[in-house]
Amino acid sequence: MLNNVHGILMTNQPGYNLKELSSIRSISSVPYGGRYRLVDFVLSNMVNAGIVDIGVVLQQGYQSLLDHLGSGKDWDLARRRGGLRLLPPFSMTNTQQHNYRGMMDALVGLRDYLDEIKQDYIVIADADVVANIELEKVYDQHIASGADVTVVCSASYTDRPGYATYYTLAEDGSAAEIVNKPVGYESLNVYVVAKAKLIELVEYAAARGLYSFSHQVLANKDQLGLKVVPYIFEGYVARFPTVADYFAKSMDLLKKDVRDDLFNPAHPIRSKDRSDPATYYGPDSKVVGSMISDGCVIEGTVENSIIFRNVKVAKGAVVKNCILMKDTDIGEGTNLNCVICDKAVTIGAGRTLSGCEAYPIVYAKGARI
Amino acid sequence: MKKECVAMLLAGGQGSRLYALTRSVAKPAVPFGAKYRIIDFPLSNCVNSGIDTVGVLTQYRPMELNAYLGNGQPWDLDKSDGGVHVLPPYLGAGEKGSWYKGTANAIYQNIDFIDMYNPEYVLILSGDHIYKMDYDKMLAYHKAQNAAATIAVLEVTLEEATRFGIMNVDENDVIYEFEEKPKHPKSTLASMGIYIFTWSKLREALISDENDPTSKNDFGGNIIPNLIGQGDKCVAWRFDGYWKDVGTIASLWDANMDLLKTDSGIKIYDKSWPLYARTNICPPHVDGPNAVISHSLVAGGGEIGGIVDNSVIFENVVIEEGATVRYSVIMPGTVIKAGAKVEYSIIAENAVVESNATVGEDKGAIAVVAGGVVVDAGSVVPAGAMYTEESKGGEA
Repeated sequence: MLNNVHGILMTNQPGYNLKELSSIRSISSVPYGGRYRLVDFVLSNMVNAGIVDIGVVLQQGYQSLLDHLGSGKDWDLARRRGGLRLLPPFSMTNTQQHNYRGMMDALVGLRDYLDEIKQDYIVIADADVVANIELEKVYDQHIASGADVTVVCSASYTDRPGYATYYTLAEDGSAAEIVNKPVGYESLNVYVVAKAKLIELVEYAAARGLYSFSHQVLANKDQLGLKVVPYIFEGYVARFPTVADYFAKSMDLLKKDVRDDLFNPAHPIRSKDRSDPATYYGPDSKVVGSMISDGCVIEGTVENSIIFRNVKVAKGAVVKNCILMKDTDIGEGTNLNCVICDKAVTIGAGRTLSGCEAYPIVYAKGARI
Repeated sequence: MKKECVAMLLAGGQGSRLYALTRSVAKPAVPFGAKYRIIDFPLSNCVNSGIDTVGVLTQYRPMELNAYLGNGQPWDLDKSDGGVHVLPPYLGAGEKGSWYKGTANAIYQNIDFIDMYNPEYVLILSGDHIYKMDYDKMLAYHKAQNAAATIAVLEVTLEEATRFGIMNVDENDVIYEFEEKPKHPKSTLASMGIYIFTWSKLREALISDENDPTSKNDFGGNIIPNLIGQGDKCVAWRFDGYWKDVGTIASLWDANMDLLKTDSGIKIYDKSWPLYARTNICPPHVDGPNAVISHSLVAGGGEIGGIVDNSVIFENVVIEEGATVRYSVIMPGTVIKAGAKVEYSIIAENAVVESNATVGEDKGAIAVVAGGVVVDAGSVVPAGAMYTEESKGGEA
């Protein structure tokens, strides 16, 4: 249990083009996997490791994230001491009046908050990663290796050219090169660092106008005399800069080995509890090869799809290779193939709508077709 | 702080007729309806009716129920003033304590608790009924009638009336006689075990009942007849929605099956009267490439590979490809392996039905497999059986 570790989540990352899915919300509150938002994964990783004091750095489009996180009680973070602390932009008087260009920019603006942190270590992470990371192990390696900064990396590439950072390893396992072309291991932007060291680096960045932690601070590790050690994470990782990636990585959940890794009940992924009833399957329903959340009423056919909560699929409707988010309503006799419906989309009776796997059709939240 | 109405939920019953399902838990904690436990129904009714102070009287095997209730957060009953309180029997200083001797005695022993909130009215509930009811409407009726006691009643058939506490009423629904399970019923208004009392009246009645050594300390048998006898106004409040006592295996199975019917009157998807429950953390369930699921409820976390028909499937249940589950209730964490056939059965939590085993039979009496029990490969659990670790060793 990491009771001497504080968590900081960064909820806005550049480099995403999920069209309608991310235009109305920050990337960390994009729905994924039937009942989750992206933020649930790293947030749960922290809570499961015993981190109970967590700041969430907000920037743009965070209304949906606020609705989702609430008081933090679904993650056991509604506490008298510590718990969830929401950090909207411009909440500190010394904040620069522009959007954060990177993690260092945000932390410079949150300098007072950093000073108040009671714990000696900090896990600071981007909240766009779908993974079940045991942060205790990362912390243990951090202590054992004597690193100044430990960075969680994956051997699998999630294809974010221009945004991801890649690490090559020296013989002793510490970082050799830190570059932005895909060689070695891809950084998941999940870091462990001592509070004092982080503040030192934030001051260094502030004095020089640096905003990127990885490209402008860690990449200068040799001049700064920093020991940066990657932690190689072997488990399943998903990030999705494009709609096609989002579609493909969602469908990964239909594979049992991916689910077993991601939803390991020993360290579960928590999400907002909505007290939905179980899903009802009608007498003529046919549902195969699909992930189905609670609260749905399914009377038609569903194949190879991810169905979020409270979705209705009427009689005679055929839904194949689709991702239907919360409160979607599919009318009678409708045929859908390779369609992503954001929340509360209504598709009238008898429609036929078809995209393809490389280019799924996306309907924006609340659309009526 | 003073509360207008405090609810007292009688949850101490053993539920001996549910035998294999209640060997380790109190009846109100028995899982129901794919995501709930029986007690979620009265608790959700309380919250939806605006009652925020609930005493839960426990006695038999309370551990799981206590853990389930916790601080009451899933029902929004984690309040700084009021909320849910678990009330086991206790010993007072210098006095003898005792187990709850009867329903009325359970409330008698908690007079101090109720006095703490100094309510005008007390709502008495039981933890073994499935229904959705607006207690606020009943309370409004109680106040309008200026009654000492209001008893919720349901119209039953003359035949059914012999199994219930029956209210004989005048033309204004004022009760003049209460008969427990009458051989020759004069009325078909059955008590639903839901009472509202004016607290000052009930308080007096509980004390005088306690001083009567011949009393069975029962609401239906003693308190209400005594109030009627001494001329206090007791009225019947008619309820015409869905209500089911799930005290037996058959009725528990029936009530689960009622959730699948569109016309049974119990609407779990009705958002105007939501049901709250403490939920496990689990991902959505997944249906395999050859799953065949029809007319069934399926909760999260599980993997459905086989045939599921007319059944209620709880969280984290695995039904392997090649297995068949029909007209059955499968409680959380249970695994039904390939080639197994389960029909007209209730399988309790974390049980395993091994390959090619058979449980129950088509249209047979309901077979029950107790929690955690393994039904061995190829074995047969006949219709109507109560299959436990002990019975397994014997004739099965």
